[in-house]
Amino acid sequence: MKITLKGFTENALFALNIFIIFLLAVGDKISVPYWLQPLGRLHPMVLHFPIVLLMLAMLLEFFRFKEAYTGEKLYQNFTTGLLLTGVLLSAVTVVMGLFLSKEEGYSGSTLQWHKWTGVSIVFISSIIYWSRNSSWYKAPLAKAGAVLTILCLIVTGHYGATLTHGDNFVLAAVMPVKEKVPVDKAVIFDDVILPIFNEKCLSCHNLEKAKGSLILADAKSMLKGGKNGKLFVPGKPEISLLLERIHLPVDDKKHMPPKSKSQLTNEEISILALWIKGNADLKKKVVDLPKNDSLRVLSASLLGPVVAVEESYDFSAADEATVKKLNNNYRVIYALDKISPALEVNVYNRSIYKPEAIKELTPLKKQIVSLNLNNLPVKDEDLKIIGEFENLRKLNLNFSDVKGGGLKYLVSLNHLNTLSLSGTKVNFSAVKQLVGVKSLKELTLWNTSLSQIEIAQLQKMSKGLNIIGGFKDDGKSPVKLNQPRLSTDVSIFKNSLVLQVKHPVNGVQIRYTTDGSEPDSLKSSLYDKQIVINETTILKAKAYKAGWFSSDAVSFNFYQSNYKPDSIAFLLQPNEKYKSDGTKILVDNQLGDFDINTGKWIGFRENNMETIMFFKQPIPLKSVTLNVMRQVSAYILLPQEVEVWGGVDKKDLHLLKIIKNQMPLKDEGNALVKLDVKFEPRSISCLKIVAKNFKKLPQWHPGKGEPAWVFIDEVFLN
Amino acid sequence: MEKNILEHGLNFNRRRFLSKLSLGLGSVALGSLLIPDLFTGSLEEAGLPAGIPDFAPKAKRVIYLFQNGAPSQLESFDYKPKLREMMGQELPASIRAGQRLTGMTANQSSFPLVGSYYDFKQYGVSRAWISDLFPHTAKVVDDICIIRSMFTEAINHDPALTFFQTGAQQGNRPSMGAWLSYGLGSENKNLPAFTVLLSRGKGNGQGVYSKLWTNGFLDSTHQGVQFSSGEDPVLYLKDPEGLNRFERRKMLDKLAELNEMSYQEFGDPEINAKVQQYEMAYRMQTAVPEITDLSKEPDDIIKLYGPDCLVPGTFAANCLLARKLSENGVRFVQLYHQGWDQHGNLPNEMAGQAKDVDQASAALITDLKQRGLLDETLVIWGGEFGRTNYSQGAMTKDNYGRDHHPRCFSIWMAGGGIKPGIVYGESDEFGYNIVKDPVHVNDFHATVLHQLGLNHEKLTFKHLGRRYRLTDVAGKVINDIIV
Repeated sequence: MKITLKGFTENALFALNIFIIFLLAVGDKISVPYWLQPLGRLHPMVLHFPIVLLMLAMLLEFFRFKEAYTGEKLYQNFTTGLLLTGVLLSAVTVVMGLFLSKEEGYSGSTLQWHKWTGVSIVFISSIIYWSRNSSWYKAPLAKAGAVLTILCLIVTGHYGATLTHGDNFVLAAVMPVKEKVPVDKAVIFDDVILPIFNEKCLSCHNLEKAKGSLILADAKSMLKGGKNGKLFVPGKPEISLLLERIHLPVDDKKHMPPKSKSQLTNEEISILALWIKGNADLKKKVVDLPKNDSLRVLSASLLGPVVAVEESYDFSAADEATVKKLNNNYRVIYALDKISPALEVNVYNRSIYKPEAIKELTPLKKQIVSLNLNNLPVKDEDLKIIGEFENLRKLNLNFSDVKGGGLKYLVSLNHLNTLSLSGTKVNFSAVKQLVGVKSLKELTLWNTSLSQIEIAQLQKMSKGLNIIGGFKDDGKSPVKLNQPRLSTDVSIFKNSLVLQVKHPVNGVQIRYTTDGSEPDSLKSSLYDKQIVINETTILKAKAYKAGWFSSDAVSFNFYQSNYKPDSIAFLLQPNEKYKSDGTKILVDNQLGDFDINTGKWIGFRENNMETIMFFKQPIPLKSVTLNVMRQVSAYILLPQEVEVWGGVDKKDLHLLKIIKNQMPLKDEGNALVKLDVKFEPRSISCLKIVAKNFKKLPQWHPGKGEPAWVFIDEVFLN
Repeated sequence: MEKNILEHGLNFNRRRFLSKLSLGLGSVALGSLLIPDLFTGSLEEAGLPAGIPDFAPKAKRVIYLFQNGAPSQLESFDYKPKLREMMGQELPASIRAGQRLTGMTANQSSFPLVGSYYDFKQYGVSRAWISDLFPHTAKVVDDICIIRSMFTEAINHDPALTFFQTGAQQGNRPSMGAWLSYGLGSENKNLPAFTVLLSRGKGNGQGVYSKLWTNGFLDSTHQGVQFSSGEDPVLYLKDPEGLNRFERRKMLDKLAELNEMSYQEFGDPEINAKVQQYEMAYRMQTAVPEITDLSKEPDDIIKLYGPDCLVPGTFAANCLLARKLSENGVRFVQLYHQGWDQHGNLPNEMAGQAKDVDQASAALITDLKQRGLLDETLVIWGGEFGRTNYSQGAMTKDNYGRDHHPRCFSIWMAGGGIKPGIVYGESDEFGYNIVKDPVHVNDFHATVLHQLGLNHEKLTFKHLGRRYRLTDVAGKVINDIIV
């Protein structure tokens, strides 16, 4: 078989098609060797050939079945040749393009569109080439194919151009650019004032239109003013024509901008006024103004943030084995990222630290860019070695033992930009040496012996350096102390109770009262070690400390209950729903809150509360206290009557005392009430307590006529 | 014509077929030369991260002040005067646009708009609006970046919280802290890379569960370690009485030998993880007491954080502890403060909640700054979703409630290479929908990982036959908030 040029080309085309499919299929896994990269980079040049050739071939293909041309041999052969060359070249171009796309900087949806439309050109035109002699391939198909290919060519070309020249390349020349200028580079007039004019005034006051003969396009014409005179007198915003027009009522004919145009914002008006007040300077930068100057603050909100410069490292990487050897549990060394030669070192644990921890790092002195020695007993002489870490950017010496003598070693570090000395004993003269370090950008001096004045002085000496003094209490806005706490949560006691009052803040004074009165910083007792109480007491305590607001008073109740019965029983049953754990609730030393569902309360409604208690040894009893609840809206009232009976045994009970409660008023508040029943002391071994509920709620109550509840929680016997 | 027919026939003979086939195969072979490591296999193929960042990180550590229960954006950082003007009027249907509500208010007969009970003012150079409930946060406004356009997919607490913490609403994936521990390793080998601190306010609360700090399918060394407020901050860390450190060491060495034997036998990597955990616990025995001792903090610090910072278990104490842990190289400190679920009684409860957290949150920023650590520590403050602009239940002049609202809410971030003093994103004038720069939870995760030098698309783990990411199949880095 004779190998013709055409045959060879067809084979090449076939191979390229397969190659492209392969490249697409494995996609991300490919990385193009550097010696093949020039081939990829030829893509933007070569691509022009297939565009032209294919365009032409498709045009001819479109008319191929026209009667006049079907017999033209030249026409037919020429079209075939042209098409084959075009398709082959487009396949070559696609391969090159796929190579190029693997290089840095190509990504995103534009690339995807370009890639897939480009690939479709090759496939569609290849299919056309191979099927155009088949019997089913007729005029309509030829026309459709040709149109489709040409469309693909146009779309691919468009996305390709966007990739090379960027979005809006064609129109960019006539479109305004809207990139925010960073604050640190902005000039007040050029970057703040002029843009306001541009946006709000220029449409009428430009070179062509110049309404009222006023042009606001540049400084010179702006200063000239219009036919009504100059716009302003520098330094005197109050007589400025510009501001007058802006401040006129919107409906006024002379108000600017006219009612129909977009208006100035309040911020913009303030900016213009402040700028005129500050002599309408044309050259001043925003950062030349004091930090809290209103014009600077307002301008900053319109400008972009400071642009940070990425750090790059040009030194060689350290020996991996050395890094590995020096890495241990208390000294962690790691690379900044996967490809960076720069190393960070953190040293931990005060108790284990030895100066060798730094000395041993010498082999890495070129690579260490960040060193954290926070809270370690690092001494001034240790800084000598650190002074050799030539590429050090960041050094943390917070709460170390550095006193300042060693700071001189750091002056030679040309890249040092952040130094933290908070919590050290450094002084003014030692820190002053650092002001000369040009690279230094941030210095923290919180909690050092330097006063605010000294820090301000240092700040003045070095403009580019940000010195952070941190939070220091100036005594002007004292903070309120929190309330004292108790060391115990016992609130019911027998005989006596020893209490410890605690406060988390060191050096506070705690004053307290036991008579229910509000503690006072002068008259009330001063707490010392402990408080002993031996009767039912309300303890109120308050914390005081110089430089702080005193705490709110905190109040604790303690209840004495000297006797516990040996056995106890209800004579009448409590309500089924609120019987809780029965009689033991009465003497469990636990007090309930207003929630009746916590199991700490026992409720009676159908019956009176009647309980009987027995004591193996007779007790000299003089009072009985019931802890009961009042919540009028919830039908819970105090007992109407409490009877206390005592004697030797069940059959020998004598009435010791009766107390009565009045029907509560309509708006009586909720309360937990201790009902005291006191009587002549008497020796008893059996005690009966009866608490009768109100049998009918009054007329004003929503439950009028129904029985009220009695809720009881605890009984204290003294 | 005859030639054409002949050629057509030739197209189907065996020689033609084989030569074409060899051409095709040849091109594939040629192409395969372009794939490096085709036959060697790479580290990434094995699915293991290198333990160092993909690119130079801005942040080295994260402190996440999670406000559990979802604080209302409308009483904190998203100022909507319109709601006050339209107090009591019906939420326009065009704004709600038929979007889903929770079962708690879906059957409400009306949706009366309710404005913030608290006033707002502008602060700092950034002129950001902050409510009167957060006076201390207002003072550090130029150090923080407020995002007012967060949105999430879940509408109830548990799935929303789980989504924020693990990137999925069902609780079987590793938590953010676990992913970081996996991707970056621990900085200080004496402390866990991921710790958790809990506190509770007086407001209506929602639970937190240990699934929120789980290692999921990752190795168990990446699990969050909870520090509690009691006498022992880390449970079971102390040696039992009568056992000294030397004995403990001997015991651990023997135990490690036994574990090594069983590893040889079974090859389960969890055995190695266990040995590492024992060793870490041994080192923590000396490291933890030093860190959790707050008695040596200077007076200024106590005034800065507020005196509650000395009461264990409060949010303030946890903030102070978080600073200490972070300062000592803990990669991810996760705080949860419960009690932000104000379905009712909002003005009252929210004031209490804000009082609990405001001073200490701001103090943390100031404190990190004065130690030169803010630029390398990323602080995040926010809840799992926002709250509705209409009142849940009865509404009076000074009392109302707000239901869950996942479509638009506010969080703030500070330090760690996040632009300070900016407000990002915008909601409509009803505070209901986002109108500018939406930030999805996946985007938030992608951004946090990016700040730590990790590509969220590359940090993967192969489990149950597919690769998992914190951002699963979505997420884009929000470049506009990055320095």
